[in-house]
Amino acid sequence: MGLGMNRTLEHILPRVQKPARYTGGEYNAVIKDRSRVDTRVALCFPDTYEIGMSNLGIRILYGVVNQMDGVWCERVFAPWGDMEEEMRRESIPLYGLESGDSIADFDIIGFSLGYEMAYTNVLNMLDLAGLPLRSAERTGLSPLVIAGGTCAFNAEPMAPFIDIFSLGEGEEVTVELVNLYRKAKEECWTKEELLIAAAQIPGLYVPSLYEVSYHDDGTVSAITPTHGAPATVTKRIVQDLDKSYFPTAPIVPSTEIVHDRVMLEVFRGCIRGCRFCQAGYAYRPVRSKSAGVLVRQGIESCQNSGYQEMTLSSLSTSDYRYLLDLCDGLQSWCDPNGVNLSLPSLRADNFSWSLMERLQHGRKSGLTFAPEAGTQRLRDVINKNVTEEDILSFCRTAFAGGWSTVKLYFMLGLPTETDEDVLGIADLAEKVYRIWREVTPNRSRGVKITVSTAFFVPKPHTAFQWEAQISRAEYERRVKLLRDHIRNRAIVYRWHDPETSLLEAVFARGDRRMAEVLECAWRKGAKLDTWNEYFDYGRWQEAFADCGVDPDFYAARVRDKEELLPWSVTSVGVRPAFLWREREQAYKAAITPDCRRQCTRCGADQLNPGSVCDAK
Amino acid sequence: MTTHRLAFSKSDTAKFISHLDLMRTFQRAFLRAGIQVRHTEGFNPHAFVSIPLPLSVGYSSGCEVLECSLLGEPDLEQIPQRMNAVLPDGIHVYQCYAGGQPVKALQYVNYIVTLEYEAGAPFGAEGAIRALLSRDSLVMEKRSKKAKSGFTQVDLIPLIAQATVEERRDTITLDLVLRAQNPGLNPDLVVAAIRQECPDMAPDFVSFHRRAVLDDQLQPWS
Repeated sequence: MGLGMNRTLEHILPRVQKPARYTGGEYNAVIKDRSRVDTRVALCFPDTYEIGMSNLGIRILYGVVNQMDGVWCERVFAPWGDMEEEMRRESIPLYGLESGDSIADFDIIGFSLGYEMAYTNVLNMLDLAGLPLRSAERTGLSPLVIAGGTCAFNAEPMAPFIDIFSLGEGEEVTVELVNLYRKAKEECWTKEELLIAAAQIPGLYVPSLYEVSYHDDGTVSAITPTHGAPATVTKRIVQDLDKSYFPTAPIVPSTEIVHDRVMLEVFRGCIRGCRFCQAGYAYRPVRSKSAGVLVRQGIESCQNSGYQEMTLSSLSTSDYRYLLDLCDGLQSWCDPNGVNLSLPSLRADNFSWSLMERLQHGRKSGLTFAPEAGTQRLRDVINKNVTEEDILSFCRTAFAGGWSTVKLYFMLGLPTETDEDVLGIADLAEKVYRIWREVTPNRSRGVKITVSTAFFVPKPHTAFQWEAQISRAEYERRVKLLRDHIRNRAIVYRWHDPETSLLEAVFARGDRRMAEVLECAWRKGAKLDTWNEYFDYGRWQEAFADCGVDPDFYAARVRDKEELLPWSVTSVGVRPAFLWREREQAYKAAITPDCRRQCTRCGADQLNPGSVCDAK
Repeated sequence: MTTHRLAFSKSDTAKFISHLDLMRTFQRAFLRAGIQVRHTEGFNPHAFVSIPLPLSVGYSSGCEVLECSLLGEPDLEQIPQRMNAVLPDGIHVYQCYAGGQPVKALQYVNYIVTLEYEAGAPFGAEGAIRALLSRDSLVMEKRSKKAKSGFTQVDLIPLIAQATVEERRDTITLDLVLRAQNPGLNPDLVVAAIRQECPDMAPDFVSFHRRAVLDDQLQPWS
């Protein structure tokens, strides 16, 4: 806190782990004069400081809002359990890191919802702030509680807690909402008046303005807008990323965070169209930044932060059209200045080895890629257009070049998966091993091939949004099947624990009745659920039982085409009819070309009128 | 190659930056300030810096020192100003100089330890603490990474060169000069001794401030 620390806080910090997470005062944090500010905004990330500070979206919105005159935006993260205990004991309410002021007195409190398992942290943070959890119980104009992020595309489980959801990219709509709030405050509107007006801004979903009714079988029968709210709320996008704000003076944490480096976002959206991937559909259309702008922003970010590491970020970096130009431009500055450039999210099918060699400077760190499925048939079902030949030739080049660590990521439980597909994973890993034996220049060094499997979670706004998740028992059977067929000691098999995936499947496609379960689980102590130290599946099972909710209704049920899906009130710009067609193609194992080869008329181009999707 | 020292203070929010994080903070600050520093060699070159006598997390200090080798021929007088412009809150460089006494000549550290009592200092606390620190021997158990049991015995008295105790209304201030190294004494062990030997005098909160680093003549080390 640039403004001097609260004495009670000073007394409790020596007793907690990693106290630098709770002090603020980092380089490039924005400090404003309270007396020259009319609107206070808390930007909350419902997880720890180390995770939240690694989120580029948070850094972008922080900068965008702080650029507004008279508005001060501060950061808030979920305290770890020891800190929470101290805060509750000493009656220290949740505070903004920049000022140390209690966020209950702020004008707007915004949450970033990136994953379902963070929902209980939102409730816990509202409670730590001393605020009622439910929107209906917060009757004043302030604090207005808003939320955005990927989970807002099915906002229903959080609907009773949040006043307004912001759908899609927040750079523009957040400013519009803050300005609407300032007008409301100046003209003494009621909260209801503000909510009704906010619903008229494209991209803002005000859940309290919709009445949801249900059939006897538990499915949704109608979602009825009231007070003139639109029937469907479509997400917002930034049209020209080159002109859009980018944080080139990033906050430099004084303690280590997860992604402790400059993150340079090269494009949004993805041309690929993998049928399971929510990000692939929800972030359409593809919009790139020009290499020149990126080089300038990358260099500025390093100079302003002192970071010696930079990473390119996107859903599939090797699909960036100007990757070589970009890397040349960045490298000619990074090399003499001792900055390391790294490229995650590369694909096996269009990978440039000369580029890799250059970036690695002779270092041979591990290679990671995600075939997602073990057989070509299943890869075609999910539209992961990578062939076995791509994967093996990729490995051949890597091993011949001296690499000896490869990680392969897969999912278990994808629609239509058979035991043959599961065993295909073991076969593929074995083939990778044989290639290594064949081409490695140094067999005595050994090889490490790691196979990891995750438990497939069907997500809303994807071609698989109608699918059932397989049962826990079936998932565990497939894990065992695979485990029993991986006998090679050079191949390490790791599988994801099923419990969080089961809950994700419930909340990802849950409706408003899930709010009861969330609140119930939180009252039983659920929080920090992404952390093993805190997660307790039993608590969630009790919450489902107490609320009379059958989790299988949400996770393990196939929806038919006619069912009104709870998230149909929100649109990511992709037509549901397109998604249904993709589902049908999946069952035929028919692939859909990527957006660069041929436009599939998914509908997302309409979000960016007058402009070409994935333009050159 | 010339060794340079940056003398700095650490206070307010920066008290909670750990030793390793502090070194990283300086490495990045040099880059932001555009000050060239000798780098390590290897795959991840980074500024070669060291901070003798790591300060415990939560302690403030007016006398920290960072060692590095500045490249080129920088104007040393301008270094503090250039660094302060790019350092986080609470870290303030007040001097930059070449050379200096060897680190092993740093023999004593002066700490100001403030014991706070919410309900006022207990009657007789000042005298009791003074008597405790005047004993011939005061053996405490201390955590040790080397000892098999995880603990080792240490006699505090030979490691305390000077101690004055002063009572105000709701605080007691200890002005301690302690051995710095081989072996050194962390003032929290002195407070632990007070809690153990004079439980009625146990403070509600303690703050630690490192005021000066001294040589064997108890003169400021630099």
